[in-house]
Amino acid sequence: MSDKALLDWPAETDDPVPPASWGRRSPAAPLLPWVFAGLVVALVAGRALLAPYLTAPALQTWSTIFVAICVQALPFLVLGVLLSAAITALVPPSFWTRALPRRPYAAVPVAGAAGAVLPGCECASVPVASGLMARGVTPAAALAFLLASPAINPVVLVATAVAFPGRPEMVVARFAASLVVAVLAGWLWLRFGRAEWLRVPRASAERGWRAFVAAMRHDLLHAGGFLVVGGIAAATLNVLVPRSWLAAVAEIGWLSVLVLALLAVVLSICSEADAFVAASLTAFSPTAKLAFLVVGPMVDLKLIALQAGTFGRSFAARFVPLTLTLAIGVSAVTGWVLL
Amino acid sequence: MSRLAQGLVLLLLGGAVLRISAFTTEYLNYVKPGFRPFLIAAGAVVFALGVITLVQEWRRPQDTGREPSRWTEAADGRGGHAGGRPDGREDGHAGEHGGGHAAGPTGGHAGGYGDGHGHDHSRGPRVAWLMCLPVCAIFLVAPPALGSFAAARDDVAPPPPPREVAEGYEPLRGDGPIAMPIGEFVGRAWGDAKRSLAGKQVRLTGFVVRSKQPDVWYVARMQLNCCAADAFALKVAVRGAPAPPENTWVEVTGVWIPPRSDKLPLGTVPPRIRAINVTKVPRPVEPYE
Repeated sequence: MSDKALLDWPAETDDPVPPASWGRRSPAAPLLPWVFAGLVVALVAGRALLAPYLTAPALQTWSTIFVAICVQALPFLVLGVLLSAAITALVPPSFWTRALPRRPYAAVPVAGAAGAVLPGCECASVPVASGLMARGVTPAAALAFLLASPAINPVVLVATAVAFPGRPEMVVARFAASLVVAVLAGWLWLRFGRAEWLRVPRASAERGWRAFVAAMRHDLLHAGGFLVVGGIAAATLNVLVPRSWLAAVAEIGWLSVLVLALLAVVLSICSEADAFVAASLTAFSPTAKLAFLVVGPMVDLKLIALQAGTFGRSFAARFVPLTLTLAIGVSAVTGWVLL
Repeated sequence: MSRLAQGLVLLLLGGAVLRISAFTTEYLNYVKPGFRPFLIAAGAVVFALGVITLVQEWRRPQDTGREPSRWTEAADGRGGHAGGRPDGREDGHAGEHGGGHAAGPTGGHAGGYGDGHGHDHSRGPRVAWLMCLPVCAIFLVAPPALGSFAAARDDVAPPPPPREVAEGYEPLRGDGPIAMPIGEFVGRAWGDAKRSLAGKQVRLTGFVVRSKQPDVWYVARMQLNCCAADAFALKVAVRGAPAPPENTWVEVTGVWIPPRSDKLPLGTVPPRIRAINVTKVPRPVEPYE
């Protein structure tokens, strides 16, 4: 008996002693599977019984958009979580200290430019940045990567070029403005950020297949839960805010930049698709569209939820306003110079 | 959230995603058709992760004796890690962990999102329960493709798709009605200097949206760029036929009515069609354009 107890608790390597589940496993464990089995039966039966009655158009539209945001983001989230788990569990920590410049101020732009290699949208970059931090990469450098990668990777740039045919300066402006914002935000965080604001995710020192599965499960459950929070907010605002309001403000220059920047935050459109939406907002100036394209991948509702969940609320409360201000300011200047 | 619950939530989510992508065409209500392989892959990974978690959980009490080396290694790793951070951040973590779990098994995560959770890998975060919500929405509401409610929200008609206008339009050939997507009709009506639509019979497929004017209704189709969150409505005003019930799918055969003046800015008024024939059709498998 004592032998079993001794072997049982270190299995939960990350828990304090004794683990919270210790001694609770036996009564709780047999019940839960039955609850879930009942839930599955209720879901299958509920579709036949309930779905014909849940037909209010607003509810259906809301749930279509909500499910669409979740479903569309899931493959990118899974990709990001796979990469992040590979970073924490399979790549030796020494790799990152060799790959990035030793001096933090030099590491920030290098990490930002390295964002170009991760093909995906913003949902993938949060877990990857978290994995990088867990492996000892300077938080400011990981943050520059987090901001840059959804906006400057080849997939997004090609989508932007397709959405704005004959206007390559839009692609150049998007690339330049996004990279500048990412590097500036990284440097500012390096200079003024405090360690206690940022919750650096902890990587288990364990390596190999088992740690890979554990890291992946943890990141996926965590980021997935916050993705749902963001999806709820974005779908609600998507249904409630009429787009006709936009036409009224398109005429006023500075206001249109602000409005499109806020629209990007609210709509939470995947960075691979936002160029098409921006292109369709013909009433607005190119600078306002650029603000939409720069702000969207860096700050939006689902991203705020993901960042708050991954790095802590005190981090998000400071980092999100910083990024938003920088993104609006830099895109206004870039638009003035380039467009 | 116990590890068993984590595995079951992953199983539910993976199963729901596989259901809408691999086994039915419901995913077409939410995303573009080309997205299917990615959805199937993601669903399979999530499902497999759930299965692996459950198998690990199932075998844990029995095989502890069989693989002692792994536990020892894990315990060593824990010690090494705690001492391995030179920047002093580990202290904060240790404090949080102690505080978070001191309340006991049930209240262990009561500290909230900000500080009490998310560090340890064996007890999942409570926010993960929310992942059951899309599963419930998929099964219980069975969200349909966006229809007239969403289309009627966009009062401002969207501009013509820019890429097609840039390439220019082929002249229309043939005698019978020419079937074309509503997006192409809108693009030709607005963006074609050669007025290729003039006098040609065309056939449009879409759903019915009511209009505020009495003798006009719209045949509409939503266009997606990535997912249903960025959908916008392409509408064509139909004249000369009584309006079918809202949201029914119809095929409208008719002739384009050129605008009375060229002075109206593009994108403010939907193009019009004079209906010759309106027939009900079943909803297409791919509801968006």
